[in-house]
Amino acid sequence: MSAPAFAPKAELTLTRTFDAPRDLVFEVWTDRKHLAQWWGPHGFTTKIREMDVRPGGAWRYAMRGPDGNDYPFEGVYVEVQEPERLVFDGTIHGSPEQRVWTEVTFAERAGKTEVTVRQLYSFESEITRTGARIGWTQQLDRLTEYLANL
Amino acid sequence: MTPDCLSTTFAALADPTRRAILARLASGETSVTQLAKPFEISLPAVSKHLKVLERAGLIVRTRNAQWRPCQLDAGPLKGVAEWVEQYRKFWTESFDRLDDYLHKLQHKEKKHGDKQRNNN
Repeated sequence: MSAPAFAPKAELTLTRTFDAPRDLVFEVWTDRKHLAQWWGPHGFTTKIREMDVRPGGAWRYAMRGPDGNDYPFEGVYVEVQEPERLVFDGTIHGSPEQRVWTEVTFAERAGKTEVTVRQLYSFESEITRTGARIGWTQQLDRLTEYLANL
Repeated sequence: MTPDCLSTTFAALADPTRRAILARLASGETSVTQLAKPFEISLPAVSKHLKVLERAGLIVRTRNAQWRPCQLDAGPLKGVAEWVEQYRKFWTESFDRLDDYLHKLQHKEKKHGDKQRNNN
């Protein structure tokens, strides 16, 4: 079991079962021809720059949204255990730039495959990195609004 | 943040004088006396406000009796929640596309398999 090198500030876990055998699902996650066909939200296209699926191998792609904005990801594979587990770690450039650690597990369920994705985010920002002064008036309004909506 | 922390912070911010004090401190640390100048209230009253803000973890008193804001990541608080939702959307939609793609792949394989059987 691995964990990210950074202290995560947020976490997300999702699970879905796919009506396909595990070997095929794993292949579709680790073959660049397949992955580009489904990776990303509706309306996004993914261009794979490098995909070296083994521990330490580079994993780089650029996702383009319907608005024309690009979201490049640069990372490495940390763990590759065919056909049950993938772990990769990298940085998403965009707004804001941040580190994302991803763990994907593939479990066989009577001929179907249950995929669980767990992501941990660094959420570093210019403010926390450089200690820049915060614009209090703006931040106060946003905090007050946020607290009021909880 | 526990619910108690949230109540304390929200209560601290609920007062317009305290919000004004925080806004003033944003442009630089300063003393109680300087802070009290724009308000038509007494020094002890200002000190009371400062204590409330300090207890809420919003400001801190430096060694030379100046007050300054704590580094409260107010922006990132809202930002984190929004961004996690963006990632959730990324995955649910990618999963939708993956589901479709897997169906297409297997349907093609099946068709190809049927064709081969018919040709034999």
